[in-house]
Parts: sequence; structure tokens; C-alpha cells
Amino acid sequence: MRYITHNAEETKAIAKELAAVLQGGEFIALIGDLGAGKTTFTQGLVDALGSKARVKSPTFTVMNEYKIDPPKNGIARVIHVDFYRFSKEAELGALSLEDEMRADTVIVAEWPNVFAREVYEPDIKITLSHKGGDEREIEVETGA
Amino acid sequence: MRILAIESSCDETAVAVLTGEGEMLTLESSLVRSQIDIHAVYGGVVPEVAAREHLEMLFPMIHRSVGHDGAGIDAIAVTSGPGLAPALRVGVEAAKALAVFWNKPLVPVCHLEGHIYAAWLSKSKVESRKSKVDPEFPALALIVSGGHSELVYMTGHGKFERLGETLDDAAGEAFDKVAKMLGLGYPGGPKVAALSEGGDPKAFAFPRAMLKDGSFNFSFSGLKTSVLYTLRKEEARINDEKFRKDIAASFQEAVVDVLVQKTRLAVEKTGGVKSIILAGGVAANLALRDRLTELGGELSIPIFLPPFEYSLDNAAMIAAAGYFRAKAGDFADPLTLSVDPNMDIV
Repeated sequence: MRYITHNAEETKAIAKELAAVLQGGEFIALIGDLGAGKTTFTQGLVDALGSKARVKSPTFTVMNEYKIDPPKNGIARVIHVDFYRFSKEAELGALSLEDEMRADTVIVAEWPNVFAREVYEPDIKITLSHKGGDEREIEVETGA
Repeated sequence: MRILAIESSCDETAVAVLTGEGEMLTLESSLVRSQIDIHAVYGGVVPEVAAREHLEMLFPMIHRSVGHDGAGIDAIAVTSGPGLAPALRVGVEAAKALAVFWNKPLVPVCHLEGHIYAAWLSKSKVESRKSKVDPEFPALALIVSGGHSELVYMTGHGKFERLGETLDDAAGEAFDKVAKMLGLGYPGGPKVAALSEGGDPKAFAFPRAMLKDGSFNFSFSGLKTSVLYTLRKEEARINDEKFRKDIAASFQEAVVDVLVQKTRLAVEKTGGVKSIILAGGVAANLALRDRLTELGGELSIPIFLPPFEYSLDNAAMIAAAGYFRAKAGDFADPLTLSVDPNMDIV
């Protein structure tokens, strides 16, 4: 499914639609250039799940965790991870992301495409592209 | 009271020893082993690399600082968050083991609180009122680093209220990403600052987000995107040195404008602020230091700028914060303390 959005609020609204069909256990890949709206999309998603967590870019912190309390559709937390600073698969060792992949958890990954191969097979792939100004094209692929 | 402090939240392994008596702090030693050379190869901080380096460096550094038996140490302070979990764990587990083995109380310290306490290490650096040596309360702290941009109101030792923070990218992250767009290396902050010298800060009108919303929050994501669009539009000039300098200077000016104006707003709205503290890695930025010093002069409030060696990650600041926590009896059980990568300042 392809969408065109004209501002951050519209991008968040697309994320809200996606949030409504999540069941927990999903791995969501967010693909897009700097400033394409990956963190904005995640803010919309976490907000729609009913979390008051303050979603920020995890570029420096690498991995942020947002609690969903009370859980929504069986989802109790969102793990927001950012591979921007990574380049080799071997560097993932200490992150132990596999340990975080649980049925009550949705993982949202920015820059999952920095590695030589696809390390994590996403359940949902979101591709955000700049269309000039605040306009973005958002492609949502599920069952990928 | 003599404190051994350990810091390993990101890419610096650090150990310090500090003695406190009343309000008087004496720093005995402060060792910092930076991993920037290693991370420059990767273009950033990679937790796997960071954790491995911390493991190799930490015990030799502790041994150099205090010797085998921990004699003369009254408490062990350690950064327990926020930061990279695998990196934090190295310092915290070492501190726990030493606390049990030497039978010393253990003080967990928030990394952001530590940054603020760098101001207590900078007694000679009070810019605008020479007679004041330590920050007075209430104090306002502007913490700016790669992972954080926050305005914190401090009413006493260990008493913090977060007034505002970044809603997307931290100021240091924006510097880092603009550095990458300009093909500069890591760490991006100093490289963008160096490039900006001689550039025209008014050449490009980059956005200053959220200046008029009355909040104390920041947003640097739109600024980053605006720089990206300008670079794309002017692609032919990307190797033109004047153009690059103008971009760097205009970008830096936008960041500094927002940080300084939000600080001014926080002083005006809270009232009675007696000191302004600049903290975190971006505190090394000269343009920011100059503009905040001007603000302090205008408002007649002393500005505390950390000396360069204590604005980047270090353990001396953790020792200072840990001393005041220890004085208040704020200890943790060394058997159960765990890291908190998302820790908030409270």
C-alpha cells in the first residue's frame, strides 16, 4: 500500500492505521533517508498504542524501550532500535536483539539495511521517501 | 569521604577518585580511556566494540587508581544509566563486585546528573562573578550531548525537575548527522564547529523549531532535514569550501540560537535562578559557550561552563554526583543493582 503525506501529523496517522492491526511479535523495518520521517512514524505508532512514552531518535542510544501500560492487543512494549551506527553483522552480538523478540513486543528498527545482507527478516516493511518539502511517500508492505 | 567512581555508559572508559568534605571537593585522579579512534573506523559507537573495550580497560584503570584492597575508599559510585546497556553493564557489574568484595557502600549515579556535577569540578571557571565558587540553587542546567538535550531545574543536591527535552534528535546527534552529510568524520560536533570558522552564520536561514510554543522542549530533526535539502539543491557546490563553511556556520548558529533562547525562556519562566550550568559533550562548542556567557552577563546570573576535559564523558563528574548522593545515604544493594539504559534524571 502506498500513501502520500504532507506533514508529520499525516505520517503519524498512517502509523496509527498500522498500529491498529498489530498483534505483538512483529518486526517492523523502517527504511528511509535522513529526515524521511522514521522517528516521526514511530512516534505515531507508539502513541496510537496508548503509550505516553517520549519517543526520540535512538541513533546515539541505539535501543529505546517504550512500555505500553495497560497492554494493547497483547502488546506490552515497543523496542525502538537504530542501526545507523552499525556496519557489520558481527557488531550485533552484544545487542542481543533476539532476546527482546517476544510475543508481547513489537520491534521497530531504523536503518535495518546497513548490513551486507538482510539480518532480520521483517514482518512489515515501511519505506519512507522525500517528495520535496514536507511531502513524503510511504510504502507499507506486510507479510514481506 | 573518599569516592571511587566508574563510568562506562558509552565510548569512554573512566575511573576517578575524589574526596569530599562538606561542600568541598578535591579530585585526586581522573583517568579517561577514549574509544574514539576505534569508533572513528566504524563512524560511531558500536555497543559490541564499546563493551569489549570497557572490559579490557576497566580493571587496569581501577588498579592504577586505588590499588588492590580498596583501602581508604569509603564508597563506590557507578553510572547505572542512561546509556548503551552492554557498555553500562561492564561498569556496573565491576562496581557491584568490588562493593561486595571490599564491603563498601554502592552509589548508582545517573549519567545526566553526573554531567551537571561537572560544574562542581570547575571552581576556577566561574565567568561572571569571581567570588562564587559552586553553583547556587535553584540552578538551571542545559545538558547537550549526542544522546540528550534537556533543560533541568535543580533545587538542591539530588533534586531535579526536567523542564523540557528534545522531542526527536539530540543537538549532538544533529551535529553528527550534518557532519556525515558534509562528508566529515566522527566525532561530528568538533568537525562541523571547525568547518564553521570563517563561514557566514546568516548565509542560510535554517529553521529554529519550537521557539514560539512557550515550552522548554527542543526539536532538531527538521533542521537536519533542512540542511539535507539545501545540500541536495546546491549539489554542484558541495566541494566549494565557502559554501561548506556557510552551511556549517548557519547550521551551528541555528542550534545555538535555539539552545540559548530556550535557556533564557526557562530562566524567565521559573524565576529566581541563581546559576546556569552548561553540561554534556556539546558544551565543548565554543559558539555555544560564548553565547551562553553573553546571556549570563545580560541576566546577571553566573554561568558555569565545564572545563573541556569534564564536558566529555568522564568519571570525575560521576564521583562528584556520587559524593553528594553518598552524603545523603543514597545507596543501592550491590547484589541487585541493574543497569537502566533509559534512566531519567529525577
